[in-house]
Amino acid sequence: MNKTLDELFVYPKELVDEESMRVIHLVRQWADKEIIANRQEYRENYEKLFIDKRKTLNLTIGLQRLTLPEEHGGFGWNNPASTPGIVSVLTEIGRADAAIGVVSAVKCVVFAAISMLPHLDKDLCDALAPIYCADELKTASVILPSSGRVGEKTPTFWGRSIPAIVEPDGEGYAVKGKHLRPLNSGAVADLFCVVCADPLGRPCVALVPGDDARVTRGKSLLETGLNACGNAEVSFDSVRIPQSYVVVREGVVEQVYTWLNLLLGGVSVGAGMNFFEILSDWAETRTIKGGYLMKENPLCASVLADVADEIFTARLMLYSLAHIISKPDDWGYSGSQRIYTYGQIIGSQVQNKILRAINRGMELMGSAGYSKEWHVEKHWRDVKTIQSHLCGVGADVPVKMDTARFFFDCKEI
Amino acid sequence: MKTFDEFSKPEEYLSPMDKHLRSALRQWATKEVMPYRRKYDEDWKDHHLIEPAFDKLMGNKGLGIQKALFPEELGGWGIGHSDYAFTVACTLAEEVGRADTAMAVAFMVTYWPLTTILVEPHVNWRLAREFAPMFCETDKAVFAANAMTEPQGGSDIENLEITGGKTIRTVARLEGDEWVINGHKLWPTNTGGVAKLFVVPCTTKLGSTDPNDFALIFVPADAKGVTQGGPYEKAGMAADKNGDIWFEDVRVPVWYRAHGPGMDAQVFREIIPWGLVGSMGFLCGAMLNLYEILYEFVSTRTFRNKPLKEDDAVAGVIGRIAGDIDVCRILAYEAARMGDRRNKPYGHPIYSDEVVGKMRNLKDFISDRAVDIFGKAMDVLGTYGADREFDIEKHWRDIKIIQLWMGGKQLCQMEAARYFFNCTTL
Repeated sequence: MNKTLDELFVYPKELVDEESMRVIHLVRQWADKEIIANRQEYRENYEKLFIDKRKTLNLTIGLQRLTLPEEHGGFGWNNPASTPGIVSVLTEIGRADAAIGVVSAVKCVVFAAISMLPHLDKDLCDALAPIYCADELKTASVILPSSGRVGEKTPTFWGRSIPAIVEPDGEGYAVKGKHLRPLNSGAVADLFCVVCADPLGRPCVALVPGDDARVTRGKSLLETGLNACGNAEVSFDSVRIPQSYVVVREGVVEQVYTWLNLLLGGVSVGAGMNFFEILSDWAETRTIKGGYLMKENPLCASVLADVADEIFTARLMLYSLAHIISKPDDWGYSGSQRIYTYGQIIGSQVQNKILRAINRGMELMGSAGYSKEWHVEKHWRDVKTIQSHLCGVGADVPVKMDTARFFFDCKEI
Repeated sequence: MKTFDEFSKPEEYLSPMDKHLRSALRQWATKEVMPYRRKYDEDWKDHHLIEPAFDKLMGNKGLGIQKALFPEELGGWGIGHSDYAFTVACTLAEEVGRADTAMAVAFMVTYWPLTTILVEPHVNWRLAREFAPMFCETDKAVFAANAMTEPQGGSDIENLEITGGKTIRTVARLEGDEWVINGHKLWPTNTGGVAKLFVVPCTTKLGSTDPNDFALIFVPADAKGVTQGGPYEKAGMAADKNGDIWFEDVRVPVWYRAHGPGMDAQVFREIIPWGLVGSMGFLCGAMLNLYEILYEFVSTRTFRNKPLKEDDAVAGVIGRIAGDIDVCRILAYEAARMGDRRNKPYGHPIYSDEVVGKMRNLKDFISDRAVDIFGKAMDVLGTYGADREFDIEKHWRDIKIIQLWMGGKQLCQMEAARYFFNCTTL
């Protein structure tokens, strides 16, 4: 490969300012030196190194504070204009390890919900920033609506069942929900960002500290990928939280989805770009038909082209979304129906594209793509896990309904 | 529809043994595999859990199915003489694949090299007698391997039409009444220390494209000079071990060559359809299991507070999935029947371009559909799709390699183009 990744998979650089570029550069160095150059060691000691590398990223580089306001000790990337920079950071992390990418992305999503201008929630930032700006690695988890169960009518968020509820309890709220399935880190999270229904059935977001005695966690889940995140089901047995820990602002759940689509899209694009690097190296030496370079065979070249095409367009789409979010005065804020719908469309497309790129590349790599030593299969499993979690239920049907509702003014779906 | 058994299959093609075989295999799968398969991924190296299930499938204290191809007079079931051999293979692959495609692969690949000496009209009785006790007189599962792929060539070895065998680097040299074999093979199923017997596709003249120089030679795994590496760790397929094999001045009797100059190349072409029909059977079995799991999920889980399956848009997705399974199963059995029509007035020899081209095309199609619908099914489950407890994700990881093996998708496309468009230079 005689061109750099950024020369191949271009994006509108003017969207990312100088300061952001410095952080992005630091994260790329971290990815290259700490993980990509030592893949074998990383794989063999994954559980331990997963924590160590996250500490370097979150505490030494300081990304744990990335989206917290400056006045609360953060980087101050809580302005919509920082959106392209944030997605760039997540792309760099995803290139190294999608599991670290997911836990990093979820943390940014949670803070975006409480601090992204113009919706800075000072009380929540006062409460949480000291914890997340200290020298201890913290993990956030998000619990989204998904499928319900036959015979149990639940409040819904655009068709998806909301399995948790918040009820007024004294001066605060009580959160209830059984066997909730987080997107990530249910077994280890310090803070849960839970999409709940209020007593009127309206969707809202509750922040639940993980150390409350009324939070119980199930056994660790084994999932297709992202297992280092440490996922498990959780139950909330009337967990009492302060009033300020419940965000009822209109569009807050939509905002969570928008940012998840954006940042998990960034993680998957990063994974796709690293897959491209691996495939490029592999294709440089692979021969077929007794000595012809495989990449010079027109059929194989067309598969390679598909791989590049999917990653290239996925990255461009993602930056389009980041650009739209960064201009709330033009298009509305990230929790509006418009931006939520764009986020759903682009998020779904990006995951499809990256998964298709890896699937196609694996067709050429054969057993090398399937064995763990080449690290391709991990990207494949991790991205698929992200995709399924983002679907929530019913494959792409909820996204299609969101899209039809916005573009065609459907009233009943 | 009441059960997954009602997915279409051509009843008039099925072996008279079909019902009995399915019943026995399904009982075995229900008891020995289904309750444990979620733990197989962690058992990939040692097979502590997997091996006892194999013994009960293949050894004489269980179903004894590893001897099925051997002639009855040698203690086998005589399937190698049957007009239903391919259809039975498809049934076996499907039933075992429904439980675990990796087990299906490991067990069916044991037949693969043996088809070259046990299936009419190419029975090599001397070799059949030599190897029958190994497979027919034991309570343990005994595995064989087709040591085909080489490090430098990938699928080239399966592309004999174009390469003519010139890329093969494993060489057999005749010394007196022995073959002396040197070479390195990579990734065959049942390596990593599993197989007791290999068939080794090799050349008697390095760089030759003459079919007479292509040889298939049987090599016992304990022969001096055979070294096996440990199994590779993979995305899935834990019950199927793949590793490296090195042959260093390995000596075997001259009559361990399957058939001899010319005929070895022909029977090598003949094993390709066996592998393709097996692959289609594995995929169909996994898809039938997908349907069982998906049926339960979409009937008990909701979207918009209605059962998923009663939502028109979700129904569109799951309807397509079920439709694809139905079509794939029909195609798999049609492919099997092509194999069973071999050498009959209205059929084609299984080494023919017609059979190989069409079967590669069907395997390619079914593989693509399977990869697609497993991915889609995981997304229907959404939050639960990646959870091992639902089993679909295990099949998703396992079946991907079926799309990739035996030359992969691109060789299938080339074979189809050659046959259907009379391409001459591909």
